[in-house]
Amino acid sequence: MFGWLISSPSLGLLFLVILFPVFWALFTSVHDYTLIAPNFDTFNGLDNYMKAAGDPEFRHTLRLTAFFVAAVVILEFALGFLIALMLHTVERFKSVYYAILLCPLLMNPVIVGLIWRMFLHPSLGIVNYLLSLVGIEPVNWLGSTKVALWTLVMVDIWHQVSFMIVLLLAGLSALPREPYEAARVDGASIFRSFWHITLPLMWPVIAVTLLIRLIFAVKTYDLIYIMTRGGPGVATDLVSYFIYRTAFVSLNIGEASAMSAILLAVILGLTAWLHRYMRSLT
Amino acid sequence: MASISLSNIHKLYPNGYAAVRDVSLDIRDGEFMILLGPSGCGKSTTLRMIAGLETISAGDLHIGGARVNDVDPADRDVAIVFQNYALYPHMTVADNLSFGLRLRNVERRIIEGRVATIAGMLGIGDLLARKPAQLSGGQRQRVALGRALVREPKAFLLDEPLSNLDAKLRASMRTELIKLHRTLGTTIVHVTHDQVEAMTMGERICIMKDGVIVQVGAPMEVYRNPVNTFVAGFLASPPMNLLHGMLDSDRISIGDVVLPLPQSLRRAFASHAGRKVIVGLRPEDFHLKADAAPVAAPIEVVSVTTEVLGPEVILVGTLKNSSAELHIRCPRDFRSEPGAMTVFNYDLSQLQLFDIETTTALMRPVKI
Repeated sequence: MFGWLISSPSLGLLFLVILFPVFWALFTSVHDYTLIAPNFDTFNGLDNYMKAAGDPEFRHTLRLTAFFVAAVVILEFALGFLIALMLHTVERFKSVYYAILLCPLLMNPVIVGLIWRMFLHPSLGIVNYLLSLVGIEPVNWLGSTKVALWTLVMVDIWHQVSFMIVLLLAGLSALPREPYEAARVDGASIFRSFWHITLPLMWPVIAVTLLIRLIFAVKTYDLIYIMTRGGPGVATDLVSYFIYRTAFVSLNIGEASAMSAILLAVILGLTAWLHRYMRSLT
Repeated sequence: MASISLSNIHKLYPNGYAAVRDVSLDIRDGEFMILLGPSGCGKSTTLRMIAGLETISAGDLHIGGARVNDVDPADRDVAIVFQNYALYPHMTVADNLSFGLRLRNVERRIIEGRVATIAGMLGIGDLLARKPAQLSGGQRQRVALGRALVREPKAFLLDEPLSNLDAKLRASMRTELIKLHRTLGTTIVHVTHDQVEAMTMGERICIMKDGVIVQVGAPMEVYRNPVNTFVAGFLASPPMNLLHGMLDSDRISIGDVVLPLPQSLRRAFASHAGRKVIVGLRPEDFHLKADAAPVAAPIEVVSVTTEVLGPEVILVGTLKNSSAELHIRCPRDFRSEPGAMTVFNYDLSQLQLFDIETTTALMRPVKI
């Protein structure tokens, strides 16, 4: 009883900022609630969900988000693991490398977006200038429908890869040293040690790292808002940004809520699946 | 099967610390060699250099006649058993056992056969499907041992393999290792800080301190003729009593206690007469009966406390008018109240003397 009493302020706060908004959004999603007529007068059941599911634009954003998430998670993981493995064997200046790598992670996404927008400016940006020095034609980084999404992927990697590195490096340094020595005497090469010992032992850490990064990648919004606003056209219109547009540009809060609920369900499902998979591993 | 030869081996770390200095040791083919010493004496480093897990800073290492200083651990054909087992935690016992063979691309049929044989030999046949986390300490130890055995290497390197086991299990594993050595006849280098293991298991003991070899010899040889006070004080429990004394041509005085020098020792120690020495008295060389030793001298001991161990009693006491403590092994029915005085007869033929400055033993005649 006393326990409940002293934890009630935090529970109350959590209820206010998490549970209440979730339920409010779910409640809104089954009403015809727009910012032109902001009331719960019209209950329309699953209409908003049906509309969202049938909306080709929403489906397009889902596909785009899936692609974006897969690209950033896979590339960041591959790059992050490689750098973590390299840093793991480094003995000198480790803290210096750490400090450099952590810089992007400490930056606000809005600042990251603004910096890169300047770097990537088609005519004034430093990236195209440097490319011109080696004779490469200027690239329309954010203006071309073919390049823009990859540009975002690249900026996201620059921003977030340190997160992977830090988590994976922590996992690597927690690995026991002895099995490696046993494997060396047993006759394992570096690659076979990696394949037969490092990878299996790192699985739980890898799974957690991928899961966390995946959830955050699905919610990517600020980079889009600052760098492309979903454009050119709808080439970088990720689902979070699309939901924002539905709610605050089209003013259709009800349908946006329904889309949020769908997104929430997808993320919850993914989390549950990964969590169960991880537990089966250990 | 192979001999292992270390000549003038050094291990110098980049920070300047010399873990092993000028170690030369010849381990015969099929020998059970013990590397014994307190922690930090360089015994494990020496073993790891033999295994190839540490680089050799200077000197030569030969296994089976071939110089292997720069040979990869995998190609030295030795197996190592680690103190904390170092099993592959994500693999089953069967996979742990077979990993080394699989890496060497041994035929599957042969692997299965060998794993089954070794598992049967070590009594872990019914654990093959389990993972290390599901095993007890003793079982893990067997798996670690099995992983070494299954490869049929030239030599086994054991790095304190029994120190994580409880006393009872340690005793039985000790016996099993001795039996195993007898069956296989493979060279074994066993690192330990436990003098009981060293005395009971080894054919020879190599005692190390501060990175150098202090003495090498058969267990009873190093026990009976320790080269210095370190070896004397390290072997056996309770160890040799080391007391400050004064050597004269025909006697030794330890405080008020005077021990006559037997004729046989007088000539050997004559050149040291008139010097202060450290006198070494083994706890078991004190006897209650006067006729227990041919040349004995009475020593009066004031009891401080007695430790009743069951098969024997250890008397902790002091010499009369002295604060220096000594331990004496007594028969199991011996009892003594604190402060009470007992007269023991010390077997003078077992007397050891050490130089007070260098702590090295004063040479005794080989036969007395």
